[in-house]
Amino acid sequence: MKNTSTKKIVISAIVLAVLIAAFALLYGKFPAKSTAGDKAIVIEVVDESGNSTEYDVDTDAEYLKDAMDDLAEADDSFSFSGKDGGYGLMVQVINGKQAIYEEDGAYWALYVNGEYGQYGVTEQPVTDGDTYTWSYEAAE
Amino acid sequence: MEILILGHMKRLNSMEDKFRFSAKDIALIGAMIAVIEVCKAVLSFMPNVELTTFWLIMFTLYFGRKVIAVVPAFILVEGIIYGMNTWWIMYLYIWPLLVLLTWLFRKEDSALFWAIFSGIFGLCFGALCSITYFFIGFSSGGIAAGFNTAFPWWIAGIMWDMIHCVGNFVLMLFLYKPIRNVMKRF
Repeated sequence: MKNTSTKKIVISAIVLAVLIAAFALLYGKFPAKSTAGDKAIVIEVVDESGNSTEYDVDTDAEYLKDAMDDLAEADDSFSFSGKDGGYGLMVQVINGKQAIYEEDGAYWALYVNGEYGQYGVTEQPVTDGDTYTWSYEAAE
Repeated sequence: MEILILGHMKRLNSMEDKFRFSAKDIALIGAMIAVIEVCKAVLSFMPNVELTTFWLIMFTLYFGRKVIAVVPAFILVEGIIYGMNTWWIMYLYIWPLLVLLTWLFRKEDSALFWAIFSGIFGLCFGALCSITYFFIGFSSGGIAAGFNTAFPWWIAGIMWDMIHCVGNFVLMLFLYKPIRNVMKRF
């Protein structure tokens, strides 16, 4: 019985190690790809009432956070802040409106060309012509 | 003939008893869901560190069939509290799968084994969630679209799955024995 248990522990430990290695390899092989150079993008903010504000941004930033920093510098009506985590910024406030899930029961959701974003703001690559929408979303 | 019918009825009654819950069972099921929800709320400030996996494993190991009622009730409560979005669809198969896998290994009583098991589950959580995204993409453009929707979504979250893996592993490793000792009293 003890031998069977030890065998199961060893096998499961090997499975875990192999999975970690395989997942790390995949993560390294298929990162979010960015492009250098000038880009014209649209950053849209949809507030809690559903009102939309669009900002046309010309930027050479490769990632969305840098493009948003450029916009915040150029346009006083746009601002954002958040909490730094191990894997980038978690956007919590846009244009003065806070959306922290634990406190407000809402969050700022990122959409890229209308599709739900797959990356955080720090990792989201910026592509010429794309629209990045920040939408205030409350828990239902 | 009468004896045969009586025997058949007895067997049916015994099956019915097996899936019938007493008032104590229902109270216990409510307590299990409350424990999961409270732990979830307490740990909500730490992304991907959770005790739901730990508790569902422990409940399956020590309360057996009662967990059959816990999982759907827990998923329903989650949907009511947080809204029934895409993630809720994922919960419909992810947590029952955890319970099923736990039940398959229910004879194991090693903290290390269950820590590794929890770690693997945490690591694969994103991959399991991406199945829903595959079908979302598939519905609009076939297999290729399904793959293109699910794969980048899963890859983008691998680092979070790693955190999930470590969190699950550590929590199970340290909590398994003390909680098991308490649960044995029930």
